[in-house]
Amino acid sequence: MNPVAIVIFQIIVIIALSPLLSGIMKKVKAFFQIRKGPSIFQPYYDIAKLLRKDSVVSENASWIFHAAPVISFVAVLTAGLLIPIYISDMPLGFAGDLIAVVYLLALARFFTALASLDTGSSFGGMGGSREMFVASMVEPAMMLSIFAIALNVGSTNLSYISQTVSSMGLTAISPYHLLAFVALFIIAIAETGRIPVDNPATHLELTMIHEAMILEYSGKQLALVEFGAMMKQLLVFALLANIFFPWGIASSGVTAAGIAVALAVFVIKIGILGAALAMVETSTAKWRMFRLPDLLSVSLMLSFLALVSFIIVKGG
Amino acid sequence: MSEIIFGSNIMQLLISLILVSTFMILGSTRLYSCVRAFGIQSLLLACVAGIVAYSTGKSDIYIVSALTLVIKALVIPYIFIYIIREIKVKREIGLYVGISPSLIIGGILVVISYYLIRSINLITELSSFALSASMSLVSIGLFIMISRKKAIMQMLGILIMENGLFLGAISLTYGMPLLVELGIFFDVLIGALIMGILIFRINRTFESIDTDMLKTLIG
Repeated sequence: MNPVAIVIFQIIVIIALSPLLSGIMKKVKAFFQIRKGPSIFQPYYDIAKLLRKDSVVSENASWIFHAAPVISFVAVLTAGLLIPIYISDMPLGFAGDLIAVVYLLALARFFTALASLDTGSSFGGMGGSREMFVASMVEPAMMLSIFAIALNVGSTNLSYISQTVSSMGLTAISPYHLLAFVALFIIAIAETGRIPVDNPATHLELTMIHEAMILEYSGKQLALVEFGAMMKQLLVFALLANIFFPWGIASSGVTAAGIAVALAVFVIKIGILGAALAMVETSTAKWRMFRLPDLLSVSLMLSFLALVSFIIVKGG
Repeated sequence: MSEIIFGSNIMQLLISLILVSTFMILGSTRLYSCVRAFGIQSLLLACVAGIVAYSTGKSDIYIVSALTLVIKALVIPYIFIYIIREIKVKREIGLYVGISPSLIIGGILVVISYYLIRSINLITELSSFALSASMSLVSIGLFIMISRKKAIMQMLGILIMENGLFLGAISLTYGMPLLVELGIFFDVLIGALIMGILIFRINRTFESIDTDMLKTLIG
């Protein structure tokens, strides 16, 4: 297929699937709580509704408040072009590796936090400082866990990692592989703002992190921010699925039918991961803010163990 | 031959899971979850012994594996839970060192034991991964003993050290003679019982199993 077509299709897939994932997770959560829950297409309706509305902006807001949603949205979408979604042979893979992905996500987070401070509301500042507190521990753990895999494969390029692991088949499953997967799964909980870390379904001032940051947004800007958060969730899941279990992903020179199959496999993988995360969410309680370093240092330690066991097994 | 057994993928997986269960003990603040993680660790150890038995074809290692399963993964956790329930102790483990620093120290201990094992020049005969895992189990067990306040955690620490020694023994020698192993199991079981009785005594005398209290004089 034409590289340009692949890139455009990837953008369309990311935009089309991210509200769906969010809807599926809400539905699974509702199922475990014995509720009926909203339709899995509800996030699409929400976004569409918000896009039709006007924004109310504080008089004290500067240009950062207006720029931040757009910058965050674009940064996340750019990160999406570097992560293999349905095809492992990314046309834009040369432009950046996993470090670029991690820091594009960090850029989006930085601007959201900056915008939360901009209007001078007390909730915004609280949310921003909490977000940065979590981020300072999430980032090293995320880097370390992906590095454990990159060390095994011999490259930090995500398409190359995905291709190699996929061609290795079941022999790719090794201690460091599994340890790094569990570590990144914990990171995914923190990164997508799920329950032991943050509760996406509440506006209770004592607990919210992400919601507190975007409290001042309304209308179209809120739609962009919400959409950015959903896309980030999809991308973190795609990272989990296609680095650790990339089997079924299409490689270069594939036909349209092959892409359809790869896309179906991807949706199934994402659905399973989303259901697993929803299960974790229903079975645990929200943690106190100051217990969070414990959870994240578990993740850091697991990825550290993954690295050490790689060195022991391969280098000993 | 040992390289074949201990280099195999499933063995590496089991050994790293044993390490993970040790970190589960280091990272939890509840007595029950520590005991559960210890049970899981012993279960994994029984699996290791089972695989060694299967690949060497020695029948007495099967017995060792089954004994590990029964004594360490079932009976000893049951003794723990019985003690916790009977003396109605608070579920939190008192800490001298916080959870995050403990985890980091645990990681450092793993690295140190790896380098210690590497400096032994017998590496061709035995698996460095299994040995360094056993070494780290011993050192982390020791660390748990000195960094936790409750007497139950001291008991758990020494049992983790014993698990580490067991892992080391089975990776070096494919299990000692059955008689020796039986002796060790008997020792561990009686040790756990005696420590349990001791904890009951400490609890009766001091009305707490916090080892900090042992420094105070009782008239």
